[in-house]
Amino acid sequence: MTKTILQLAVLFVVLILVQVMCYKILLLGVAIPLVFIYLILRLPVTWHMNITLTVAFVMGLIVDVFNNTPGMNALCCTLLAAFREPVFALFVPRENEMNNPIPCVDTLGFGAYLKYMSTLVVIFSTLIFLVQAFTLHNWPLTLMRIGASSLLTIVLLLALDSLVSTRREKRL
Amino acid sequence: MKNLLDFFVKHSAWFVLMLYVILSCVLLVRNNPYQQSVYLTSANAVCATVYEGLSSITDYFHLKGINEELQERNAMLEMEVVDLRAQVNDLKMQLPDTLQLQPVLQHFDFVVAHVISNSIAQTNNYITINRGEADGIKPEMGVVDQSGVVGVVNVVGKHSARVISLLNPDMRLSCKLRDSEYFGSMVWDGGDPRYAVLEELPMHLTYHVGDTVMTNGFSTVFPEGIIVGTVVGPAHNGRGNFLSLKVRLTTNFSQLSSVRVITNDMAEELKALELPPGDSIARKEDKP
Repeated sequence: MTKTILQLAVLFVVLILVQVMCYKILLLGVAIPLVFIYLILRLPVTWHMNITLTVAFVMGLIVDVFNNTPGMNALCCTLLAAFREPVFALFVPRENEMNNPIPCVDTLGFGAYLKYMSTLVVIFSTLIFLVQAFTLHNWPLTLMRIGASSLLTIVLLLALDSLVSTRREKRL
Repeated sequence: MKNLLDFFVKHSAWFVLMLYVILSCVLLVRNNPYQQSVYLTSANAVCATVYEGLSSITDYFHLKGINEELQERNAMLEMEVVDLRAQVNDLKMQLPDTLQLQPVLQHFDFVVAHVISNSIAQTNNYITINRGEADGIKPEMGVVDQSGVVGVVNVVGKHSARVISLLNPDMRLSCKLRDSEYFGSMVWDGGDPRYAVLEELPMHLTYHVGDTVMTNGFSTVFPEGIIVGTVVGPAHNGRGNFLSLKVRLTTNFSQLSSVRVITNDMAEELKALELPPGDSIARKEDKP
C-alpha cells in the first residue's frame, strides 16, 4: 500500500511537470498531448470515490495555475474522475476479481485497458476543448483538436504505461 | 437524524463531486483577466521558479534563429540611423536655430526581461516574464521584442509578471496603417498564431498588401510607431460599415526569448488627466 502511494506521488509530480511543458506544444497546429490524466486512470479502483475526486481536482488545479486557465483543468479532471468508475465497470467484468487494484495493461490485459483508457481520453479531451472554446464559434477547429489530441494522447499513454509498468521486474 | 447522517455518508461522493465542480466553475467564470490574484496565475513564486528552470534548458533551441533575426534587425536599424542623421543634419542646415528637435521617446524607458513561459496553443494565451514589482514593473505596461509588439503586463508578482499575449482575444490593441491617420483595433481570432485581424477601419480606406501596421500612441502603453505586422488582405468577417484586414504579425510568438517592458513616466500624469474633472481635483486635494 505504502509503495503504491509513494509511486503515485512521484508520478503526480513528474506528470504535472511534463504536462506543464506539453501545454506549450501544438503538433500540426491542432494536437496537444494531455498526458497528466494517466495518474487519474491509474488510481487504484478500490480507493474511495472521495479520494479519487480530490486527487483529480488538486492535480487539475495545479496544472491550471501553471497554465493560467483557472478552473478549466480542475473541472475536467473532476468530471473525468467521476466518469472513471462507470467506464471501468463497462469494460471490465465484475466477476474478474483482481489481486492488484491498479488499472494498467498488466492487470486488465491489453484489449480491456485500451478500451478503458481510450474512452476516458476521448471524454477528457472533449470536455477540455469544449470548455476552452465555449466563447468561440469555430467548431470544426474544436472537433479537429478533440480528435487529434485524443489520438496523440492514447498513443502516448500506451507508451507511458509500458514505461511505468513493473512487468520487467517480474520476469527477472 | 441518524438516517440523515447515513444518507450523507452513503452519498458523500456526490456531494464532493458537486463541491469540486462548483468550485472549478466559479474559478472558470471569474476568469476576468484584470482581477486575478497573483497566487492563481503563473506569476506566483513557485511557478516562476519551475518555469525559470525549464526555460534555462529549452531556450538554447531557439538561439540560432533569434540571433539571425537580431542581426538582420540591427543592420536595418543601423541603415535607418544613418539615413535619419543625414536628414536631420540637412534640415538643421536649412533652418538654423528655428528647429528645436525634441526626442519623441524621452518619456519612455525599457526594462529588459526574459520570457520564462509562453503558450500559443490555448484560446487565451499568456506569457510569464522574470521581472516583477522589484524591477519596477506595473500592470498595464507594454511589452515588445526586437520585431514588434508582444502584449501588455497584467498580473505582477515580486520577481515575475504575467503578460497578456497579443494572441489572446481579451487583448485589443489600437493600431494604424503607416502613412494614414485612420486607426482600428487589432484582435486575435483564436486561430492561426501567425495572423491577427485589424478591425473597425473605415470602409473608404485604401490599403495595399504589404502595408505596415503600427501602434498609434493613443494610450500610455505603447509609444507611437511600434511595428505590429503587415497587411495580407481583407478579412472575411468584415461587419457592416467597417473594414477588417488580415495582418501577419511580425513577432514570432513561438520563439519569444528576450522582451522589453516599456515604462512610461508620463503614464500617471496622463491617467489623471483622463479622469473626470471633479475626480482629479479631489485627488490633488488628497495628496498633501
